[in-house]
Amino acid sequence: MTGHERVGAAESDAELVQRGRSGDERALGLLVERHQDAAYRLALSITRDEDTAHDVVQDAYLKAFRALDGFRGDASFRTWLMTIAANEARGALRKTKRRRETPLEAVGPVGSDERDPAESAALADETRRARAMLERLPEKQRLSVSLRIEEGMSFREIGTLIGSSEGAARVNYFHGIRRLRELME
Amino acid sequence: MTDRCATVREAIPDVAAGRATAGVERLAQKHVATCRECRAELALARAVYATRAHAPEGTAERVLAALRSQRRTRSRAGWGLAAAAVAALALGIGIASGPHGVPDVATAELGEDETEGELWLSDDGVLAGAPVWETLSDEALAELLEELVPSPTGGQA
Repeated sequence: MTGHERVGAAESDAELVQRGRSGDERALGLLVERHQDAAYRLALSITRDEDTAHDVVQDAYLKAFRALDGFRGDASFRTWLMTIAANEARGALRKTKRRRETPLEAVGPVGSDERDPAESAALADETRRARAMLERLPEKQRLSVSLRIEEGMSFREIGTLIGSSEGAARVNYFHGIRRLRELME
Repeated sequence: MTDRCATVREAIPDVAAGRATAGVERLAQKHVATCRECRAELALARAVYATRAHAPEGTAERVLAALRSQRRTRSRAGWGLAAAAVAALALGIGIASGPHGVPDVATAELGEDETEGELWLSDDGVLAGAPVWETLSDEALAELLEELVPSPTGGQA
């Protein structure tokens, strides 16, 4: 079996971490590919700047890989990486003091192929508007909503990332959703 | 809001993202067909999920390239420390063995033929007249050490 086969998609993060510790670059690459989107979204949500968010993702991975020997596995690799990324993002935000809004055209693809064009356009507008409104929520509510919906994180994991309890993360999520609905009306 | 609403709202993020089990998905769809509030919340969650950002192309390559660069820098720093230790050892031995005991490695072996101010890398592990420690083989390092450490008769190799 080749090294490439051993670090295939079926391998768990824990197994990839184990291989990464011994310098297996393919394993490290897979860990990046698996979690880069989540780390980027988190960094973008905090910094609100695409270039800074990209730099944050790189720095977070480098820090995580440097500290891989000390990673005990109490939390999942993803939660651990996301915690590092959140700290890096907050540090970058303090440094740059930039709070540039993410342009609307940066958001992902929207729409459905099975609707008539007018209906699709209206739906796409509403969808984009939801994203724009999300960006207006306070940070803890914004992060709670996006981490719960986009990453499927538990409230416990979200609490760790936003520096709150599990209960507070839940409250932030539901307050965020309610506020979002108000803004959309 | 009914108890069923509370249950469905807990599951809405997973239903919106397609992560819910088939059973939960069925339960949620059945409920939102008759509950306007939960239907609106599911539509909102779907909109959030549909517009999620993605890391730029080439992120993994960029991270791995930075990792390699970092490792090279660290390796050089490590060899630099080793070189400094060897030099310090050689200097100490040289001082202890008198004025003829300090070997002039740079001029005797490595530095005579270089063009001043020109950066060059040769096959024998020498960059701009100074040894590039990490590229030297074990044999080459052993030879250098032999040159640095005077023989018992006081001569140099």
